[in-house]
Amino acid sequence: MTALPFAPDTTVDAAVDAAPARGIAWQRWLRWTLVRPILLPLLLAAAWLAAWQWGVELFPQTRSLLSSPSEIGAILGKSLPFLMPQLASTAREAVMGFALAAVIGMALGTAITMSRRLEQALFPHLVLFQIIPKIALAPLFVIWFGVGSESRLVFALFLSFFPIAAATAGGLARTRPEALRLCAALTATRWRTFVSVRVPFAIPSIFAGLKMGMTMALIGTIVGEFVTGQQGLGYIIMFAAANADSALTFAALGLLCLVGLTVYGAVLLAELVAQRWYGAPFVTEGFN
Amino acid sequence: MKGASERTLSFMLPMASAAVIAVAWQLAVELGDVPELILPTPSAIAAKLFGTLPSLLQQAAVTGREALAAFVLAVAAGFAGAAAISSSKILREIVYPAIVTLQLIPKVALAPLFVIFLGIDHEARITFAALLSFFPVLISTSVGLANTDLSALRLCRSLGASPWRTFWSVRVPFALPHFFSGMRISSTMAVTGVVIAEFISAREGLGFAILVAGARSQTAAAFAAIAVLCLLGLVLYGAVAGLERLAIRWYRG
Repeated sequence: MTALPFAPDTTVDAAVDAAPARGIAWQRWLRWTLVRPILLPLLLAAAWLAAWQWGVELFPQTRSLLSSPSEIGAILGKSLPFLMPQLASTAREAVMGFALAAVIGMALGTAITMSRRLEQALFPHLVLFQIIPKIALAPLFVIWFGVGSESRLVFALFLSFFPIAAATAGGLARTRPEALRLCAALTATRWRTFVSVRVPFAIPSIFAGLKMGMTMALIGTIVGEFVTGQQGLGYIIMFAAANADSALTFAALGLLCLVGLTVYGAVLLAELVAQRWYGAPFVTEGFN
Repeated sequence: MKGASERTLSFMLPMASAAVIAVAWQLAVELGDVPELILPTPSAIAAKLFGTLPSLLQQAAVTGREALAAFVLAVAAGFAGAAAISSSKILREIVYPAIVTLQLIPKVALAPLFVIFLGIDHEARITFAALLSFFPVLISTSVGLANTDLSALRLCRSLGASPWRTFWSVRVPFALPHFFSGMRISSTMAVTGVVIAEFISAREGLGFAILVAGARSQTAAAFAAIAVLCLLGLVLYGAVAGLERLAIRWYRG
């Protein structure tokens, strides 16, 4: 569902390569393979930027559609005082929407797994809501909550809630039966079993849901900004694009990407902390 | 006997809870005297849905065609990209970090750019939705292709199978579950992408119908269009799930 770390290389060549070799050539090769995964993507990014810059300079008539990276950088520096409040607005709505969705989603996801029948009755609805295009409800949130900040926040919460609730319920419901039988044999209380066994087993799934939820909260905020058209980076992007101001559009897009990577990185960091806390003996395999 | 009743329950309980929610909704709106502008009753939505069915279906055809075109494009490009990435280690190291980064950034914000580049016609909406739904297929399929059973690959090599033959007869079957899980996500992204693009640029389609109904405060009409859209999303998702079943049976059989 979200980006998976790339699986270990399982080609036959890799297996052959991994076989022990001797001498200087081997060391050089090892150093090269360590540097390569960092160097090559950076080179690609540099080549991409250079080609972009050069291409725009070669065809200046495309400027209203596509500005060069140096122009975008210049406009970004110049209009930063104007863009920062927009960034703060977008980030605040997305993060608060996500935080509320995380609390409500994890609580309700846990609540429905407390009873087998309740889970049977409600879990299919959570899954169904994952599939349908909820984004289409954006205009309704304008009717219900107006065009202000809280409207976008609630829409972000709404989109972010379902992946979190479904992943929490799914993770808690699929504890390994052996572990549960062991708990029963050791006469552990329900609460103790929940805290020491069910929750740790569900951690990877819950975090898969949280990562999805963070992405959805930001998407919800942006679509909300498109629809309400008041403030935020999404609004600036739409406004600048409509004015054929491509440098400002790309500058706002760059800042938005920064926001996206930061908030996603924060969830990843929280996952690492949780895994370390619980000793991370579990297979990191998400819901879905 | 017990198994059968358990299966009946797991089918009946969701239906029952859905019915309870619908009845509670209807009663709450009627007894609480909620204005129809805020929340119409399910029966009012159903009446609106059947009353305006021909025009809704016409809009659904527009949206559905665009979503389907975007989905097909995304799956074809995603599969081809994943095949290219998994065939070369250097290529993978070069582009994979870029792909993961692109996966994380909010691509939804690119929608206005597509309007500038491609205009307000079908092409812009199809390309935007295809971009959104391309990444899930690409990433799942390349993970699937990289996870082929190593002993199966050794066997291919010792049997002297060509890389082409190994790819189609061993790697692809092993990657099928991943490929289809990417396709399922991408089917919902395709519909979502078309709707977002319709919010921004369209003059027809269900997204446009929802936006107009919302702006005119015709909440029941908006809900009716949303219901048709959900149905459209479910049909596409169901088609992918059905295809998955067929494909897995084909490879097993």
